[in-house]
Amino acid sequence: MTTHLGVMILFAACVSTVFGTLLRDQVREQVRLGAQIFSSLVVGAYVVGWLMYFVFG
Amino acid sequence: MSSPPSQPSKTANPARARTTEAAPDTAKVTRACVLAVLVPGLGHMTIGQPRKAGVFFVVLMTMFAIGLAFGGSFLPFATDEPLVFLGAAAQWVVFVPRLLAGFAGLGQGAVTAVTYDYGNTFLIVAGLLNTVITLDVFDLATGRKRPS
Repeated sequence: MTTHLGVMILFAACVSTVFGTLLRDQVREQVRLGAQIFSSLVVGAYVVGWLMYFVFG
Repeated sequence: MSSPPSQPSKTANPARARTTEAAPDTAKVTRACVLAVLVPGLGHMTIGQPRKAGVFFVVLMTMFAIGLAFGGSFLPFATDEPLVFLGAAAQWVVFVPRLLAGFAGLGQGAVTAVTYDYGNTFLIVAGLLNTVITLDVFDLATGRKRPS
C-alpha cells in the first residue's frame, strides 16, 4: 500500500467518506455522494498524472 | 384610485421575527465546537448525531494513525516558515490525539522513509477535515443548518 496510487486511493477513500457523511443526511445519498467524490478524486488524479506525463515527461 | 390592501407577511417586521426565534444557546454552541476540536466526532455526538459522530471518529482516527504509521512528523510552530506553521496548526485541530501521541513520543518523523510526505499529508488533512466538521457542528448548533 505504499505505492503512490495505493496511498492516493486510501486518501481519497477517507476524504470522500467524510464529505459524503458531512454533506448529506440520508445513508443512500451519503454513499452516492461519497462514491462520486471518490471516483472524481481517483480518476481526476489519474488523468492529470497522464497529462503531466505527456506535457512535461 | 386606491392602493391595494397590504397583506401581512412574515417579513413585514424582521426585527420582531428575530425576537420570536429561539436564540442559540451560546454555551451549548461553544461546548459543542470545543468538543469537536478536542476529539473528532464528539461535537456531533453532543448535538444528537451519533451516527455521523462515529463515522468522523473512525475515519479521522484512521487517517491520524496512518499518518503516524507512514512516518509523518508533528510539525513545529515555525514562524519563519508560514506553511510549516499552518501545518502545525492544522495538526493541533485534532487536539487530544495529537497531545497523546506527542506524550507517547510518536510523530518524530522518519525523514528517510519513502512515505514520510504521505504521512505528513495524512496528519495535516485529518486536522483540516476536523476543521470543516467543527464548522458543521457550529452551523447545526446555531440553527443555521437543519438536518433533514
